[in-house]
Amino acid sequence: MDCTEARNHLLDRRRGALTGELRARANSHLAECEACRREDAADRELSLALQDRLPKRRAPEALRRSIETRLVGQPPRAAAGTRRTRRAPLFASAAFGASFAVAAAFLLWMPHGSDPMLAEAVNDHLRVLYSDHPVEVESGGIHQVKPWFAGRLDFAPVIAFSGDDEFPLQGGAVAYFVDRKAATFIFKRRLHVITLFVFRAEGLQWPALATHPVGDARGTLETSRGFHVLMWKKGDLGYALVSDVDPTDLQTLAVKVAGGA
Amino acid sequence: MRAAPYLTLVSETLVPEPGAVGAKVWYPEAVEKEAGTLPRAAVDHLDAIYRVARNLTGRDSDAEDLVQETYTRAIASAAQFTAGTNLRAWLFRILRNAHIDAYRRSRTNPVREGFDDEFAADATASASEPLRGDAELERLRGVVTSDIEAALASLSVDARAIILLDLEGFTETELAETLGCAVGTVKSRLARARATLRERLRDYGS
Repeated sequence: MDCTEARNHLLDRRRGALTGELRARANSHLAECEACRREDAADRELSLALQDRLPKRRAPEALRRSIETRLVGQPPRAAAGTRRTRRAPLFASAAFGASFAVAAAFLLWMPHGSDPMLAEAVNDHLRVLYSDHPVEVESGGIHQVKPWFAGRLDFAPVIAFSGDDEFPLQGGAVAYFVDRKAATFIFKRRLHVITLFVFRAEGLQWPALATHPVGDARGTLETSRGFHVLMWKKGDLGYALVSDVDPTDLQTLAVKVAGGA
Repeated sequence: MRAAPYLTLVSETLVPEPGAVGAKVWYPEAVEKEAGTLPRAAVDHLDAIYRVARNLTGRDSDAEDLVQETYTRAIASAAQFTAGTNLRAWLFRILRNAHIDAYRRSRTNPVREGFDDEFAADATASASEPLRGDAELERLRGVVTSDIEAALASLSVDARAIILLDLEGFTETELAETLGCAVGTVKSRLARARATLRERLRDYGS
């Protein structure tokens, strides 16, 4: 065994993963080669440094909830050739029942008992608030922010408002809303942050009652965990405004965004 | 860590224990999978995916975006996941590809992927250098978290990935599957990546 081969096996040797003859050859080489012994010692120190000093991070709770929501709510897709297609109908029924029970349990577990879109909007707004870098493109006006989304989204966000003294536009970013990418616009209202998510509307379970006028559309205004969420659809796009500002401020901004002011 | 070995019945077939020679390897999460949907067990890998994403991107917010993108792609292509194959390796392969794609799109952060170009010179230099004595050991004992993260960030994507995935307990087969390389090259790639990381850490801890 030469040095190159021996060094490829150092890690496995220390982990006890080398078997009989290979281990004997590696041991024999190390007994004769001081350079590889030093290499082994240095590599052992590297293992200790990585294990002891590299943080064992856990995913943030908001991220975990978001992923769990998407896994529960994912639409069934056609899967050719999977084993399930050969299973008995009874098993399929049981599986469907189990899936339904999991989904129902999850919805009951959700802290607000409201629809997933409302919870998602608040969670995504919180991500913006807690993010080290909530804005990926600083605002020099909407004509600087909107083109930035080109190539980053599979749709063009349509908003008719470029910010003013009352609601200055801070910038934009790409985020996720439920299971899809969203254009995120961040406005301020005095010291409050207002997040506007624009996303493809299709395939989402929109609230049935939309009573709040937003331009020529109608939206729903709900409150969760102290945050107000105003959501509406216009054409193929969905909009969600989230903030802890007064709901009338939210509606004023929504009308501006929808081009109704 | 790998889930405990198990036996179960899927489609009236006795499933072999993971790692059985000559048999297809099965994992518990595969049993949960419904047609075309991502198994709920995918969330079991979230912490590991986030850890690796954080070390690939270097920032919390970028890591969260990368994780979201990974699961979005996984859900979108769930029909392509074969029940009974390795969900963890599949997810991490998506993570790696998503990371590479993201940085390819970024003009200011050109990504460096692959091993061989970067490591050929390092490996040669390492083998032919005079003995470094205990000085390297002392430096390695002195490095702190920020040193390690900075040194990792200086490596290519695949070098970082193979080191981080090895730390997560990936087997050689899983590493090969995730990184898209031959199983027979995993050991040498990992050894070269670690040697290069040690070279980079020479600048720290002194």
